[in-house]
Amino acid sequence: MSNGTAPALAAPKETGSIGRRSRLAAHLFTLGALVLWQLYSMTVEPYVLPGPVPVALRLVDFVTDWSLAKHAFISFAHVFSAIAISFVVGSGLALLAHYVSALRLAIHGRISPFLNSFSGIGWTLLAIVWFGVNDVTVVFAITVVLTPFAIINMREGLETLDWELLEMSASFTRNRWREFVLVVVPSLVPFIFATIRISFGVAWKVALAAELFGGRSGLGYLFNLARQDFDVALILVVIVVIIAFVYSADRLVFAPIQARLGRHHDLGAA
Amino acid sequence: MSGPRATPRSSASLAQRAIGDGLVIAVLGGWWLLSQEIPGFLLPDPVEVGKSLVAFFITPSLLADTVTSAARVVAAVVLSVILGGALAILPYRWPVFDAIVHERIKPFLNSFPSTGWAILAMVWFGTSSASVVLVEVMILTPFCLINIAEGLRELDVELVEMGGSFTRSRRRVFFKIIMPLLLPYTVSSVRIAYGVAWKIALVAELFGATSGLGYVMLKAQIVSDATTVLGTCFAIVALFLAGEKLVINPLSRLVAYK
Repeated sequence: MSNGTAPALAAPKETGSIGRRSRLAAHLFTLGALVLWQLYSMTVEPYVLPGPVPVALRLVDFVTDWSLAKHAFISFAHVFSAIAISFVVGSGLALLAHYVSALRLAIHGRISPFLNSFSGIGWTLLAIVWFGVNDVTVVFAITVVLTPFAIINMREGLETLDWELLEMSASFTRNRWREFVLVVVPSLVPFIFATIRISFGVAWKVALAAELFGGRSGLGYLFNLARQDFDVALILVVIVVIIAFVYSADRLVFAPIQARLGRHHDLGAA
Repeated sequence: MSGPRATPRSSASLAQRAIGDGLVIAVLGGWWLLSQEIPGFLLPDPVEVGKSLVAFFITPSLLADTVTSAARVVAAVVLSVILGGALAILPYRWPVFDAIVHERIKPFLNSFPSTGWAILAMVWFGTSSASVVLVEVMILTPFCLINIAEGLRELDVELVEMGGSFTRSRRRVFFKIIMPLLLPYTVSSVRIAYGVAWKIALVAELFGATSGLGYVMLKAQIVSDATTVLGTCFAIVALFLAGEKLVINPLSRLVAYK
C-alpha cells in the first residue's frame, strides 16, 4: 500500500499499484459476496436460499450427470441456430434496404421497429399456438427477437462504408459482384462480428424464456421444472452455468477476436 | 458513427413511402384474409385484436393493469438510472473500485438472465409490485451503468480541469460541470432502459405479479385466448412508441449539446 520509497519510480509504480489494488479489491469483493451469501443462507430456510456449498455440489452433479448437462448443449444448439438464421435474414434485409432504396422505409421504418418493439414472450406464446411446444417454437422466438439487432447493426456497417474505397474499386472493375465480395464484405467484417457478439448475448436470455414456456428441453425447461419444485439450488446452478458460459465466451472468444479486428480495421475495439 | 451517407435517414421518397405503407396494408390485409380461413385460436381476426388493443386503454379494469405496468416500468427506469449512475461514478471518484464495478458487478448483472431474477424474486418476495420492479431494475442497471460510464470516459478533461482551477470544491465541479456533461448519456441510458424495460416487463409480470399486462397475457394464454395475447403485445408496442415519441425524444432534444 505504501509506495513512497522510490520517488524516481513513483509515477509508473502508482498506476500499476492502482490496477493491482483495484484487482485485489475485486477479489475481496467476490470473497465478501460469497461469505455474505453463506451467512445469509444460514439464517433462512434452505428452500429460500441454499448456501454456496450445496449449490457448488449441485453444480458438480449437473456437470457430471449427462441427463442434466445435455440441456446446456440443447440450449446452445437453439441459440446457435437462431443466431445463424437471424443473421442471414437480418443482413439480407439490411442489404436489400441498402441497394434497393425504394425498400428502405419498409425495412428500416416498418419491419425493424416492429420486430424491435414486439415482446419476445409474445412471440413465444404465439409460436406455441402455431408450432406447439418444441424446438421450432424456441428457435423461432429467439430468431425473431435477434433479427432487428442484425438489421440495425448491419445497417450501421453499410452506412459507414468508405466511399472512396468503393469509388476506387469501381475504377478497377465494373463487376458489382466482385466489388461486393472483395471490398464491401471485408469492410463489413467488424460489423458482422459485432452483430454475432450482440446476438449471442441477447440470445441466451431470450432462449431461457422461450424454453421455459415453449420447450421440452434446454436450460429454460430445466428452469421451469426447478421452479415447479421450488428447487432454488437447481435454479442457481442453471444461472451459474449461464453466467459462466456467456461471460467466458465473451471474454475468451469474442473480445480477443474483436480486438484483433479492431486493430486490423483501425476501429475502436469497444 | 459519423461519415458520409448515401441518403439522409429522414427523407423518404414517394416510392419508399408507397412501399413502406403498402407493406403494412398488405400484411394487415393478408392477416385478415388468413384469419377468415383458420380458427381464431390459431390466428385471431385483426379487427378483434384491434378492439382488444383499444380495450387496454378504455376498459377501466384493463386500464388499471396498463397503468400498473407503466408505473412499474417508470419506477424501474428511474431507479436503475440512479443505481447505474452511482455504480459508474464510484470508480471514477475512487479508482480502487474499478475492477469491482467493471469486472464483477457489470458482467454479473449483464449475464444474469431475466427469467432467473423473475423466478428468484417470486420465491423470495412472492407476487408483488416490488418483485416486478426488482427484476426490471436488475436487468436495466447494467445498461445504464455502461452508458453513463461511457459518458464519464468521454468527459472533456480540460473542462473538468478548468473547473478545478476555479474552485477546489469537488462537489461544485461535479454538479456544475460533470453532471451537465453527463446529461446526454443519462438521457440515452433512459432511452435504452425504457426500451428494454417494456420487453422484460412481461417476463417479470408473468411470474411475479397478480396485476399488470404480463398477468393479463398469462391469463389469456391459459385459456388459449390468442386475441388478448396479441392485443397485449400490441398494447406494449403502442405504450413503448408513445413513451419514446412523447417523453424521451423531446427530452433528448432538450439536452442535446452541439
